[in-house]
Amino acid sequence: MRPVALALVLALCPAAHADLRQADQSAGRLEFSATQAGATFTGAFTRFRVSLDFDPAHPASGRLDVTVDVASLDTQDPERDEILRGPDFFLADEHPQAVFHAGRFEPAGDGWRAPGDLTIRGVTRPVTVTFTLAPGAGISVMKGSASLNRLAFGLGQGEWASTEWVGDEVDVRFELRLQPAG
Amino acid sequence: MSARNTSVRYGSVAQFLHWAIVALLVVQVPLGKIAHELPVGLERLVMMSRHKSVGITILALALVRLAWRWFDRPPPPPAMPRWQAAAARLNHWALYVLLFALPVTGWLMSSAANRPVSWFGFVQLPDFIAPDAGLKEVFEEVHEFLVNLLLVLVGLHVAAALKHQLIDRDGLLFRMLPGRRP
Repeated sequence: MRPVALALVLALCPAAHADLRQADQSAGRLEFSATQAGATFTGAFTRFRVSLDFDPAHPASGRLDVTVDVASLDTQDPERDEILRGPDFFLADEHPQAVFHAGRFEPAGDGWRAPGDLTIRGVTRPVTVTFTLAPGAGISVMKGSASLNRLAFGLGQGEWASTEWVGDEVDVRFELRLQPAG
Repeated sequence: MSARNTSVRYGSVAQFLHWAIVALLVVQVPLGKIAHELPVGLERLVMMSRHKSVGITILALALVRLAWRWFDRPPPPPAMPRWQAAAARLNHWALYVLLFALPVTGWLMSSAANRPVSWFGFVQLPDFIAPDAGLKEVFEEVHEFLVNLLLVLVGLHVAAALKHQLIDRDGLLFRMLPGRRP
């Protein structure tokens, strides 16, 4: 009887349940915007891994895990990239990865909110990611954003700790192509 | 002093625009050279962003000045050999071209470097080109060449004005000065 019951349970599982992984690194984008000297510029991380276990019918459980190789940071300005990877900002040699983890989801407008913990430079702070998920036959598109304060993570030591010339707020945007984990 | 030009001297509007740009250039050129020599860091960011703000101010004044010149024709120059009149005309127009070309190449260089320009933190200027490290190098070379050309042409302009004033004693300098009647 046991295998039959299991098969029955599996068959009744909502089809919307998704255990997704990033489909293709090059197809997704993870960008951020920050301000320096009053002007907003945009940069990106080019190496990151995303795993989403999400069931819209049971949003209170599930998880979103994102791991970012901070050294893959690219603001299209080698001088700035070097400073950002260095000891005054990401300290990439000692903290090569930034990690986000959320264990539950809440409906938010057209999409979802994932309150979680973001760890950068060894410092963990609560950050909420909002996103929409457009499921597809093979590929689901996950789009979203988050906002954080760089100084809460120690991003900006010494002279860079002032917000007069480099703004505290950083906006993060992402667009990911996810596919069922296999 | 008349706001508009008379047959023998520039009016107060033209004089203000001339000397305001002179005053800004006296700050702007050393500011750019000093900022350029600084090591990458906050101080360089601060100096360079001030250099950009002053440059945009000069660009705006140059636009007003060119428009005003079209509206209010300059007084005819004093009698001089034809080659000198031609050289003066050429130099004046070259200086006008540089007053536009220098800020514009600086602006394009900033956009190419993904370091957008903000005018004193009040308003961010649009980027007309996308970030491009190769183009940034090109605009940087051109910008540096143009500022050296500016220094040479300003030197000629000042030398010629002093020659008129001190050797020809034709009172040419009073045309661009308030107060004493020419």
